[in-house]
Amino acid sequence: MSINENDLSIGEVAEILNVSIETLRRWDRAGKLTATRTHGGQRRYAMESLKNLLGKDLFWNAKLWAMEGETEPNGMFYCPTRPVFEARNAAMEKLLERSIGEVYSLISSSAGEMGNNSFDHNLGKWPDIPGIYFSYSIEERKIVLADRGLGILKTLQQIIPSLSVDKEALHIAFTEVITGRAPEKRGNGLKYVRRNVENGYFSLTFQTGDAELILKAGEKFSSENIRKTDLPIHGCIALIQF
Amino acid sequence: MHIRLKQFGTTLSSRQAGKDAYGGFSATLAVLKPGEPIELDFEGVSSLSPSWGDEFLTPLSNRFGEDITLFNTKNLSVDATITFLEEIGGLKFNRKS
Repeated sequence: MSINENDLSIGEVAEILNVSIETLRRWDRAGKLTATRTHGGQRRYAMESLKNLLGKDLFWNAKLWAMEGETEPNGMFYCPTRPVFEARNAAMEKLLERSIGEVYSLISSSAGEMGNNSFDHNLGKWPDIPGIYFSYSIEERKIVLADRGLGILKTLQQIIPSLSVDKEALHIAFTEVITGRAPEKRGNGLKYVRRNVENGYFSLTFQTGDAELILKAGEKFSSENIRKTDLPIHGCIALIQF
Repeated sequence: MHIRLKQFGTTLSSRQAGKDAYGGFSATLAVLKPGEPIELDFEGVSSLSPSWGDEFLTPLSNRFGEDITLFNTKNLSVDATITFLEEIGGLKFNRKS
């Protein structure tokens, strides 16, 4: 295996897989997940070698598709049009209500806002694959939504042409009420989602381009919650954990 | 006039669905007498999102203001969305549970 500049460090892989660095060293010795070595002896991991492990994870399955998927996702998760998404979100809502009680509607309406955002901002403009990836597990208490659309930066540049980086666009989307002579009626859905997180109903991971927001349930939003990642995606991806 | 919102669906989610609901409701609004109360009843609604609400409740509030009263708003997303719309749109809805 050759070393590629896109290869990941052991720290990055530990974070992605949510395991310790020591576990990764053990897996390397055992051949479960092998690393290559730099000239200095440091472990490096090719994204390709992680895929088997990541493919079993709800979030990473969607993220891999958002990063590099060139085909439609598995039909179980694929919502090519808004009506398909809305029907599946309504079905999830019923399961949530049975499972977690009255908080269910804040979670399903937040998922609805983010899924519908994808359609509102990309209709007729999808760069390659139209629609969204929508999967959930009530048992694991996770919901994932992803699209391969324009992403927040390009969408907001239509109104704020001076915007130049994903981090800034992501920050604006979650904090500022945008009105005025917009070419399309602006959604404020992400502000609503943020409020529900801050009020402690669920945690959110949200990425667009190379900017990632991680906001834990009950935590107050600040710009420090947004960081640049080394694994950019096309469009947007959201993980709700409740 | 008393309107049950569940006739528009129980999961009131997208901007497009809100627009469609408002369009469908316009014919009913056309026959309202000036000052006639409008009661919007959320009984049976499973969830309401700000996108749907902004296309339906915001224009209604802008047009009829104090004539509107909202009923059965205890569902957490209904309550949170109405509060959110009030804040971002500078609106005020009368509510009765």
